[in-house]
Amino acid sequence: MKRSDTAHTDAIDCDAGAIVTKGITKRYGSFTALENVDMIVPRGTIFGLLGPNGAGKTTMIKVLTALIPADAGSACVSGHDVRREPKLVRADIGWVAAEVILDDDLSAMENLWLQAKLQNLSDWKNRALDLLRYFELYDRRNSRVSQFSTGMRKKLEIALALLHQPRVIFMDEPTIGLDPGTRRMLWQLITGINREYGVTILLTSHYIEEADALCSNLAIIDHGRIVATGTPSELKSRVKADIVEIALNYEPDMPTFAHMDGVQEAARTENGMRLKVASSESVLPRILSCLNIDGVLKINVDKPSLETVFIDLTGKRLSDDEGRMDMRKFYATLRMTRR
Amino acid sequence: MRNATLNQFYGLLAREIKKTYRNPWIIAITVVQPFMWLAFFGSSFSSAPKSFLEGFFHTYSYVAFLLPGVLSTSMLTVGMFGSMSTIQDKRFGYMKRILLTPTDKATIFVAKSMGSTTRGMVQLPVMATAAALFGVSFPLNPVLWLGWIAALFFLGLGFSSLFMALTVASTDWQTPGVISNFITMPLMFSSTALFPQANFPAWMRAISAVNPVTFSATFGRTIVLGGSIDWTLLAYLALFAAMMLFIGSVMATKWLKVE
Ligand SMILES: Nc1ncnc2c1ncn2[C@@H]1O[C@H](COP(=O)(O)OP(=O)(O)OP(=O)(O)O)[C@@H](O)[C@H]1O
Ligand SMILES: [Mg+2]
Repeated sequence: MKRSDTAHTDAIDCDAGAIVTKGITKRYGSFTALENVDMIVPRGTIFGLLGPNGAGKTTMIKVLTALIPADAGSACVSGHDVRREPKLVRADIGWVAAEVILDDDLSAMENLWLQAKLQNLSDWKNRALDLLRYFELYDRRNSRVSQFSTGMRKKLEIALALLHQPRVIFMDEPTIGLDPGTRRMLWQLITGINREYGVTILLTSHYIEEADALCSNLAIIDHGRIVATGTPSELKSRVKADIVEIALNYEPDMPTFAHMDGVQEAARTENGMRLKVASSESVLPRILSCLNIDGVLKINVDKPSLETVFIDLTGKRLSDDEGRMDMRKFYATLRMTRR
Repeated sequence: MRNATLNQFYGLLAREIKKTYRNPWIIAITVVQPFMWLAFFGSSFSSAPKSFLEGFFHTYSYVAFLLPGVLSTSMLTVGMFGSMSTIQDKRFGYMKRILLTPTDKATIFVAKSMGSTTRGMVQLPVMATAAALFGVSFPLNPVLWLGWIAALFFLGLGFSSLFMALTVASTDWQTPGVISNFITMPLMFSSTALFPQANFPAWMRAISAVNPVTFSATFGRTIVLGGSIDWTLLAYLALFAAMMLFIGSVMATKWLKVE
C-alpha cells in the first residue's frame, strides 16, 4: 500500500498548477471516454476545456472532482491527489453544473445554509448575505428556489460554489441556456471572481466567443483526447486559412476543388464539402464557377478565429447558432401549416 | 472531523424534514390515514360478541389491540420514503451536489434513514389521539411512553436502513415499490401486528418469533393493554436497528453512486 502510494505521487508534481493530470484514462465498458489526458491548469487562471458534444468534458470534471474514478493516470487538484485525498479536494473546490442543481423545495438562503453545513463552515452567514447581494438575489433570499428564473438559479448556483471560498471552481457549460445579456453578465462575474479572489476556474464550453472572452488558456478535446492546447491567440495563429463550407444537394467532384489554386485542403462532409482556402475573397469566385449553382443549398465562410481552429481540429462546428436558426424555421413552418 | 460529520448529518436530516413537512399532502395523509385504519379495522369486529373479542384478542377493544400493531406496520414501510428521496436526489442530480462536498456516503445514508424514521414517528401522536377518540385509554407513566417511542423508532430505523440498503445502488423509481411489496407483506402477516400468534400455524409462528415487527407489536401492546413489560424486546429492537444501520452504511459506502 505504502509503496504504491509513493509510486503514485512520484509520477506527478501536484504543485505544478491548480490542476495537474497525467495519463488520465476513463472507460465506460469498452468505450474510452478519456484517453491519456495530460493537463496543467496554472494557478489563478481561467482555463477553458472546449469540445463538441460527447468529447469527454463532463467526464473530465467528474474525474477531477473524484465523483468517478479514473481507470489509469493520476490527477491533483489544489495540491491534493484526487484518488488519495478526495475529501481535501472536495473541501477546496466549487462546482457549477451544466444542469443547475439546487434544492427546489428550499429557499435561496436555505440552500446556502445546507451548503455551509455540508462544508462544515461556522462563519458563513455574512458571506452568504454578501454573495446574495453581489448576485442581486438578496431581496428574494427567502423565496423558494422553484420560483426562480433560469438566470437567478444559475447565479445562486455560483454563489453556492463560492460560499466556502474554494481555490478551484469547476464550471460545466456555465452559460448554456442563458440569453446573451445574462451570458455577458455572467462573463463579468466569472472574470470578477477570478480577479478579486484569485480563484482558478476550469470551465467547459460550447461557445467559442465565451472561451475567447474569458479564458487565458485553452485545451481542445475531441473523442476523449486533448488535440490542442495554448492561449486563444496561439491557437488562432495556428490556422491562417479561411474555411468555406458548402452544402449541396448533389455529389461534388472533389478532385476539381482539391487541386484548385488557393485551396489548401478539401474534405467531403455529410451534405457537401469543406474547403480550407488562403483567402476566401479571391478563391470563392473560382469555386462558384465550378459548382452547379442550382444545387447549392448554403455557403458559409469563416475567417480565422477560434471557431476555424476548432473546425480544423475536430471537423465539427462548435457553436449551436445554426441549430437555433433551424429550430426557428421549423416553428415557422409549423405555424404556417396550422393556418 | 467529528464536528464536520455532525454538521453534515444535521444539515441533511434537517433538509429531509423540511422537505417533508412543506408538502401539505404529506401532512394531510399522515393525519387522515390512521383514522381510516382505525375506522375500517376497528369497525370490522365492532359487532363481534364481547366473549369472542376477549377470547381471541384478550381485550374488549380491537382498536386497543390493533393500535400498536398498525403503528409497527407503518414503521415497516417508512423506509420507502428514504429510498424514494435518495433516488430522487440521484435523478435530479442533487446527490452530486452532496457528494462534491467532504460528506461521507455513510453520513448521507444515516441521515436519510433517520429522516424517514422521523417521518414515520409523527404517526404515533396522531394515531394515539385517534385511538383515544375511539375510546382507548392509555397509561400515564412517561417511562412507558418513552419506551414505546424508542421501540417504534428502533423498528423504523432498522427497516429504513434495510430498505435503503437494498435500494442504495438503484436509480429506478420503481425499485422501492418492488422491494416494499417484497418485504412488507410477509413481515406484516407473519407478525402479531394484526392478529394474535395463537392462531398461526407452527411455521408462521417460527417466523413471527424472530420478526422485529412482532417484538414491537408485543411491546406496544403490553403498554396499551397493560401487563408485565418485557424490556429485552426493546433491547432486541435496538440491536436490530444498530445492525441494519451498520450494514447499510457499509453498503452505501461501497455502492452509493451519483447516477
Ligand atoms: N455513465 C456513462 N456510461 C457510459 N457512457 C458514458 C457515461 N457517461 C458518459 N458517457 C460517454 O462518454 C462520452 C463523453 O461524455 P461527456 O458527458 O463527458 O461529454 P461532454 O464532452 O461533456 O459532452 P456535452 O458537450 O454533450 O456535455 C460520451 O460519448 C458519453 O456517451
Ligand atoms: Mg457535458
